[in-house]
Amino acid sequence: MRIRRPEPHTLAGAYALDALDGPDRARFERHAARCRECTREVTGLREATARLAAAAAVPPPAALKDALRAETARTRQLPPVTRPRPAAARPSARPLGVRRLALALGGAAAVAAVTVGVTASLVPPAGRPSASQEIAKVLTAPDAVKLTAQVRTGGTATIVMSHHDRMLVFAAAGLRRLPAAQHYELWLIGPGRDRAAGRLPAPSHGMTGPVVAADLRSGDRLGLTVEPAGTHRPTTPMILELTL
Amino acid sequence: MKGVETGPGRTSPPRSPWSGARAGPDHADLAALLARVAVGDRAAFDAMYDRVAAPVFGTVRNVVRDPGLTEEVTQEVFVEVWRAASRFDARKGSPMAWVATIAHRRAVDRVRSEQRSADRDRRAASPMIAYDDVAETVEDNLDRERVRRCLGSLTDLQREAVTLAYYGGYTYRQVAGLLGVPAGTVSTRMRDGLIRLRDCLGAGR
Repeated sequence: MRIRRPEPHTLAGAYALDALDGPDRARFERHAARCRECTREVTGLREATARLAAAAAVPPPAALKDALRAETARTRQLPPVTRPRPAAARPSARPLGVRRLALALGGAAAVAAVTVGVTASLVPPAGRPSASQEIAKVLTAPDAVKLTAQVRTGGTATIVMSHHDRMLVFAAAGLRRLPAAQHYELWLIGPGRDRAAGRLPAPSHGMTGPVVAADLRSGDRLGLTVEPAGTHRPTTPMILELTL
Repeated sequence: MKGVETGPGRTSPPRSPWSGARAGPDHADLAALLARVAVGDRAAFDAMYDRVAAPVFGTVRNVVRDPGLTEEVTQEVFVEVWRAASRFDARKGSPMAWVATIAHRRAVDRVRSEQRSADRDRRAASPMIAYDDVAETVEDNLDRERVRRCLGSLTDLQREAVTLAYYGGYTYRQVAGLLGVPAGTVSTRMRDGLIRLRDCLGAGR
């Protein structure tokens, strides 16, 4: 049989029905990435196919729900997709329960809370409780909120913050690897001068942190830069800037 | 105790997410549940599951057929919903469309990957099974009745193309082979048919 290639736009229906195989699907997606009308049309057609799904409803066996509970209990959730914004990022913030906070930091914080190795890479000022205690305090704070944002040079940052305790926990995934002479530095950018808020440890399995920043002040923003050793103020452009 | 309020007067048994016309309170409820799921709320996940499990399971079963595989794929779908709940974007469609899309795509992808190692002659031998199945198991379901009525308003070729693809999991080229018409014709009939279906169901936006 002779196979003719239809115009990409006419494939919107087939795409919405998942009736495109690998190469056809990829071809349509490439086209749709440049075609707002196609994307809009597929969105509408998906509402129709969802109704086809509704019409096919069959209750699953009850055992499936139990199996699923066990499965989700050991499945890490994805962070939201965020886009870098031209001005200071305006991340979504929402109140969280304690249990969810541990999940929010992807277990890294929970691990850190009991792992001395991570705290050793932090340098808490004298007189402060250990980083693990502080992390636990922020995560369990009743007013804790989670923010996520994209780092401009790559990677995603997750911040859990307690205004009441004036502390935040910072963790990141997928940060670009740095030469040995450089490191990532957190800054608190307030009405006064910028304060160094913590040097990020080297990533482990793609995860960086968690790091605690304390003494947040009203009006502070959080910044992240790449710094050579021994700087006391940001010397390179912010690759992340968050209004707290 | 349930960790999630689904709104006043909305109690069991779970209602179909499509009971209202268009994007009504049910869509908002499901979206709210998904937002809670995104931050790891298990009670919200359970409530969401109760609402969409039957459409997901039925859709997957239609495509993959094998009971064991149906359960396996259904479970994968919900693990994916759990994992990716934060990626749901209400600007890109209703929550049900998001879930149904994950379910259907995973089902067809599974069937197609299995198909590469085993043939599907058995399925190809009864290409109309999908639509017949819909007709036969629909009675108690208002959604089903409406969908059936709207499918009935399509031309034969549109309806066959849409149902073979959605319920049968066939690609448009396979549908073309089954129906003996050019692939280009099938792709346009799929699009025309879905547009007509969308308009008939008031499902568009």
